[in-house]
Amino acid sequence: MQDKYISITKLNNYLKAMFDNNPVLQKVYLKGEISNFKNHTRGHLYFTLKDENSRLSAVMFAGNTYNLNFKPEDGMNVLVEGRISTYPATGAYQIYVDKMELDGLGNLYIEYEKLKKKLSSEGLFDSKYKKEIPKYPSKIGIVTASTGAAIKDILSTIKRRYPICETILFPCLVQGEYAAPDIVKQIKKADEFDLDLIICGRGGGSIEDLWAFNEEIVARAIFECNTPIISAVGHEIDFTIADYVADLRAPTPTGAAEMAVPTISDVVFKIKQLQIRGSKCMTNMLKLKTDRLNLVKDSYILKNPLAIYEVKEQKLDNYIETLNSIIEKILRNKKHQMLMLANTLKLVNPLNILENGYSLVTKDDDVINSASLLNKDDEVNIRFSKGNIKAKVMEVEQ
Amino acid sequence: MKEDKKDLSFEESLEKLETIVKELESGNAKLDDAIKKYTEAMNLASQCSKTLDDATQTVNKILKENGSLEEFNIED
Repeated sequence: MQDKYISITKLNNYLKAMFDNNPVLQKVYLKGEISNFKNHTRGHLYFTLKDENSRLSAVMFAGNTYNLNFKPEDGMNVLVEGRISTYPATGAYQIYVDKMELDGLGNLYIEYEKLKKKLSSEGLFDSKYKKEIPKYPSKIGIVTASTGAAIKDILSTIKRRYPICETILFPCLVQGEYAAPDIVKQIKKADEFDLDLIICGRGGGSIEDLWAFNEEIVARAIFECNTPIISAVGHEIDFTIADYVADLRAPTPTGAAEMAVPTISDVVFKIKQLQIRGSKCMTNMLKLKTDRLNLVKDSYILKNPLAIYEVKEQKLDNYIETLNSIIEKILRNKKHQMLMLANTLKLVNPLNILENGYSLVTKDDDVINSASLLNKDDEVNIRFSKGNIKAKVMEVEQ
Repeated sequence: MKEDKKDLSFEESLEKLETIVKELESGNAKLDDAIKKYTEAMNLASQCSKTLDDATQTVNKILKENGSLEEFNIED
């Protein structure tokens, strides 16, 4: 009788076997919100998944957590993949989670942030790589869908502002899983054409719609493109990775066209202005040079060439005058000097003394100043103040 | 002076025109140079204007899958 009773363990093991043998329960995909989240010290994660009406225990073993791209927290909406089984000790069934990712926007946002960080650290957003957008492009490539508002806006804006610009559309998918490789392909194709500029983008949409422009391959294609690229994705508020990599980011497709081309009337005006400025310069310069020429032509010397000599002649006259006065002065000085000398001479003239009654005895032109120089019968000459006599020595007294 | 005007794109011509006018305005040029520059500037200006005047509405094109370019008209 007792045989019909079985142990709890047996039941739980039986139930576990039932779960484990059910192929449906070996791989289930669940969507729910995390609650009661516990991070066990050994690295296993324990939490409850719930929706509005039900809840389910969940465990994620440490070995599976390495691929998590976010930190699970209570309240997060997640997508999980795992198997359903029971824990024999309690008999409670639960999900053994293999993979878990954030549901919807949350996950996209994380991918976006991760890629942005990666590309940024690689330098893909650096301003030093930004190519200059030509001011007056003559050929523009457009990488976007061939239908829809974006291409319409771009073409009509270019046509309105700058109709002389040629455009080539490189049609591509702009949403869905094939969009990114298609965009990449068309950017590369466009780069082979001789274009001044490429506009790449699409009109507004949900973040999922715009997602292709957040893909790494698109970012790299834009970075590697040799032609300058203006990105134009969605609306003003949407910032995609493509916007960061592009050489210039436009808020909208229309904005991209406005940034790409000038308004033709502005260009016409500019050329006119340049013409006027150039002519004005020339007129001014010619007037200046003419004035200068006239000034030189009117100068006294050119009008009175003889004046050149006049000046020199006057100078010569001055020199002569100076010379004359110098010579005159010298002559005057010499004359004065001579007079002075004559006076002195007069004073020292030995003959002056004769006027006082003295006389001068000479013999053969030698002055005799001693009787001993003479002998008896010598003939001497005696000079008086007035007149001379010749005399004979009668006697010499010593 | 190089005779490379024919090869200049509209953008290059306009930029060159701007440069020359700025040079003229600086007043540093000798008269002979200035006259040469002025002549060049006026040629460039009329060339640029002509490009703008002559430009008929250009056609929009689309690159087809087979690699050919065809006229592209957006349906309104």
